[in-house]
Amino acid sequence: MSHEEASSELAAVALDSASAEVAESVRAHASVCPECGPELAAMEATVAALGELVPTTKMNLGRGAGIRSRLIMRARNERESHAAPTPGPPDLARGVASLTGLGHKATPGAQRPVSLEQKRVVTPPAPTRRHVAFEPVPRRLNWYAIAATVAFVITGVQLFRVTRENSAMRSELASGDTGQPKSDSMASLLTEKDAMITAMAGSDVKVVALADKSAPQPLGRMFWNRVTNDWMMVTYGLPAPKPGKTYQVWLVTDKAKISAGTFRPDSQGRTVMHANYALARDALKAVAITEEPEGGMPSPTGPMVVVGSA
Amino acid sequence: MLGSEKNPVVDSRPMNPSEREVSYSSQTRSNADDVALIRRMCDADETALGALYDRWVRSLYSLVFHLLQDADEAEDVVEETFWQAWKKSSTYEPSKGAVSTWLLTIGRRKALDRIRARRRYREDPVGGDRTFADMAAPGLDPSEETEGSELRTHVMAAMKELPAEQREVLELGYFGGLSQTEIADRTGQPLGTVKTRMRLAMQKLREPLSMHRRVTE
Repeated sequence: MSHEEASSELAAVALDSASAEVAESVRAHASVCPECGPELAAMEATVAALGELVPTTKMNLGRGAGIRSRLIMRARNERESHAAPTPGPPDLARGVASLTGLGHKATPGAQRPVSLEQKRVVTPPAPTRRHVAFEPVPRRLNWYAIAATVAFVITGVQLFRVTRENSAMRSELASGDTGQPKSDSMASLLTEKDAMITAMAGSDVKVVALADKSAPQPLGRMFWNRVTNDWMMVTYGLPAPKPGKTYQVWLVTDKAKISAGTFRPDSQGRTVMHANYALARDALKAVAITEEPEGGMPSPTGPMVVVGSA
Repeated sequence: MLGSEKNPVVDSRPMNPSEREVSYSSQTRSNADDVALIRRMCDADETALGALYDRWVRSLYSLVFHLLQDADEAEDVVEETFWQAWKKSSTYEPSKGAVSTWLLTIGRRKALDRIRARRRYREDPVGGDRTFADMAAPGLDPSEETEGSELRTHVMAAMKELPAEQREVLELGYFGGLSQTEIADRTGQPLGTVKTRMRLAMQKLREPLSMHRRVTE
């Protein structure tokens, strides 16, 4: 394409009203022509600037938040599919279930065999606002029916268990009879457990018991250290989600239902999820777990499995 | 190009909803900040995608809604546009223009694809009969209006000074995505005349718009 030909097509290319073939030829010419290159860039900037003059039209807030949440979820899933190796077997012996789906931070360069070092921390994705109510709760859960006193008692038991495990592991490490890989793995596990203890034992920890009405005792707890913004969710005795479904955790505030990731409990219904997420001290109203399609949803759509008021 | 491939990173930035609400209303939207976000997107930092979304969704949605006149389609285009920005973040070249130019160009192109498809399959009117005069209407958000009203006044003044035939070809290309040949057919003018009119119109509008961009960048 000659300079004259290209020059006569610059406006059409900038407006995206030239054919693909013409546009390609013009861009090829403009990339090497000191006159057409800047001219094309200026025209494209003009076209884009015209777009900024359009009167503001507000997108539906809920749908906008949904789009944002979906985008981040897709991006995160894509990153993790590139970064994360095949998830390792759940650490059932120590009660750490597999973490799947949303919100997990991937460890860079992880193509090594999975170790606990690679267990990922959950960061809740974008808040999602929804304009429809939760799906009807099969057992009509009462979000404000959980007694805090019970939660604190059970918390103590849980903390004791974890502390005891850590002590045993430290002894094993100190004895020096572990191979290096196992030692590394155990050290990582210790670190993780320490974080867990900190999250549960801090002076400003809020505990939310998660229950369904039919269960005699809670099926899980969410611990929120409001100083460090560490979150730890533990479940026990949670039934497996239906085939093709996953559980999804929601932090419920007055303004949003914030997805905190998806998970599948182990065969005994146990899960441990950890996150670091800043939330205003009095913002949390409840924590809920719903059953959602694999991969999770930007806002709750499925039945609420357990819930606890904050 | 800002990068060649997406590398996983550990991101510890909290996403506090209240913080995000603030960013909606107090955004300064400098291009340097946008470029920094694109760099983070190149490093597979999805929170940067969220931040870029917060900064530009309103402008992008307004544009594609204005073109498409359909909220559902406009939302689809917004999502497709930001997803493409994520996927192609490494191809963004700062030397070729602002991030907003890049984003709005992608969005407008996708909206025009839909308009062209409508035209092919449903014989809808060109670009929903949109004109630049429609842009003179005030927006729904008073704060945004304060930001853009002066510019709008200048550009509308420049637009009014355009000869009607130049403005017509620009509108057919801008809102309808018509090729110059299609515009020539529609207006009954020789192709060369259409090309000349389009180029002259673009050149006349460039000055007030480029002044605006210099200020905001």
